[in-house]
Amino acid sequence: MRNEIELEGLIEDYVNGKLTAEEAQAFEELRANDAAVDHKFVAHKMFLDSLNSFSKQSILKDKLNQIHDTIDVETLSEKYRPHSSFVVNLWRKNKAAFAVAASFLVLAFVSIYSIQHSTKQNGSYEMMRRELVKIQNSQNKLIRNVNSRNKKENAPANPAQFGGTGFALTANGYLCTNYHVIDKADSIYVQNSKGDSYKVKVVYQDPQYDIAILKIVDKEFSQLANLPYKLKKMSSGMGEHVYTLGYPKDDAVLGEGYLSSNTGFGGDTLAYQVDIRVNPGNSGGPLLDNQGNVIGVISAKESQVDGAAYAIKSKYILDALQAIPQDSLQNNVAANKKSALQGLMRTKQVEKIQDYVFMIKVYN
Amino acid sequence: MSKTLSSSVPTDREVVLGILNNSEEALNRLYTGYFPMVLQFILNNNGDEDDAKDVYQESIIVVYNKIQSGDFELTSKLKTYIYSISRRIWLKKLAQQSKKTNNISEFEDVIAVEEDLEQHEAKDLQFDKMDSALQQLGEPCKTIIQDFYINNLSMQDISEKFGYTNTDNAKTQKYKCLQRLKKLFFQI
Repeated sequence: MRNEIELEGLIEDYVNGKLTAEEAQAFEELRANDAAVDHKFVAHKMFLDSLNSFSKQSILKDKLNQIHDTIDVETLSEKYRPHSSFVVNLWRKNKAAFAVAASFLVLAFVSIYSIQHSTKQNGSYEMMRRELVKIQNSQNKLIRNVNSRNKKENAPANPAQFGGTGFALTANGYLCTNYHVIDKADSIYVQNSKGDSYKVKVVYQDPQYDIAILKIVDKEFSQLANLPYKLKKMSSGMGEHVYTLGYPKDDAVLGEGYLSSNTGFGGDTLAYQVDIRVNPGNSGGPLLDNQGNVIGVISAKESQVDGAAYAIKSKYILDALQAIPQDSLQNNVAANKKSALQGLMRTKQVEKIQDYVFMIKVYN
Repeated sequence: MSKTLSSSVPTDREVVLGILNNSEEALNRLYTGYFPMVLQFILNNNGDEDDAKDVYQESIIVVYNKIQSGDFELTSKLKTYIYSISRRIWLKKLAQQSKKTNNISEFEDVIAVEEDLEQHEAKDLQFDKMDSALQQLGEPCKTIIQDFYINNLSMQDISEKFGYTNTDNAKTQKYKCLQRLKKLFFQI
């Protein structure tokens, strides 16, 4: 019994490293020589180990309990307790998803807002493009649907489907209008300010420039007097006062305005932008400046922008005329260097050009 | 909520280093940092606050022992690890109580922790055995054993505390107690 106690004390001291080097060596020899002592040592050490880990574990548990006491469990559990409301549960479980969705929305709104804002001021390139595409769709060709009955007996019985305006290029019956006016036409008639209708045929068309040249082929047509206006070769400058005569209704209508930009729709260099009131039916009308020069052909307007009509530059009419055999033109319009309208009052000018501006009636 | 949580939650590295160095502070922050997560899980899956405390403490002990054993390798976030262990423990408890366990509401990702838990359960069994053996031992043996082996008091202190005339008597008493404890421990 006594020995047992001492042996146990010895083992514990050995395990805990409390023995001196000599004592430890003596103990190891004893273990080596005596199998019973060795067995006891192993068994006791094992037990001590489990006792040791037990003590560690219980100390840890005590610590954890202490820490746990510092936590305000009630408030927390109030916060996390399953809520009766479906919405609250949904919110809790999908917080992250909601956060992502919300930030995405905010981002989208912010970017849309900033894009809109910036286009209002100076316009970013990309945004401009999109905006332009939209406008392009809304750009109206100024062809008028003609519903009125034709009164002349030599005109076809059924009413014309589309109408536009055209003006004389030469005294022998060459007219200029827009390509889109006569596009897909079966037959075309022109009607002058007195109400006489003549049949015309298309002698030249250029969809790219939106220009068409017609020739009056009616035998009742007699030569016109010399043209009072001339085609201007050079470009006109911004601010030039201009006017046009056209047929948005059955009688000629005068429109006045000024040249507001040297480029047309979307920076199109073929055309001018003109601040002028034009309506369906004005397409193909001549655009004249104060000196009586034809500087362009009214072709379109922008429906979403106020006061933005477009007129194809007269230079391209001259180009189109080049494509026509010169001898058939007879009295070349380009040769008409002096404009008879120069220095006249507007009323006089209109009176003079009235005979040279025709309503174009298209049947298809 | 996530803001306050993240401010109080230590980084995984802080926790591992702190626990390896026996830092109470690290343990404290680890415990308080992830408790809300487990509490939420338990409360939403048929448990109450006490269940949450038990499960969470068990998980922390698993993590703590694993880190202290030195072969702890983080293959995921510590948060995920703790959540997975707590979840596993709670599902087991639910199964034992034969409560319904379908429709578990999840709050975090889950990783496989079966192996770690098996080790833990073996250890826990030992712990429970020792605990009940100590309970059966009765006074004053229990206190003597605890004082000597757990609180590391010297034989001198113990003989004074229990009024033994000399340390030899105390030693004899301790020896007898230990023999009984061994007997009880291996019996159970």
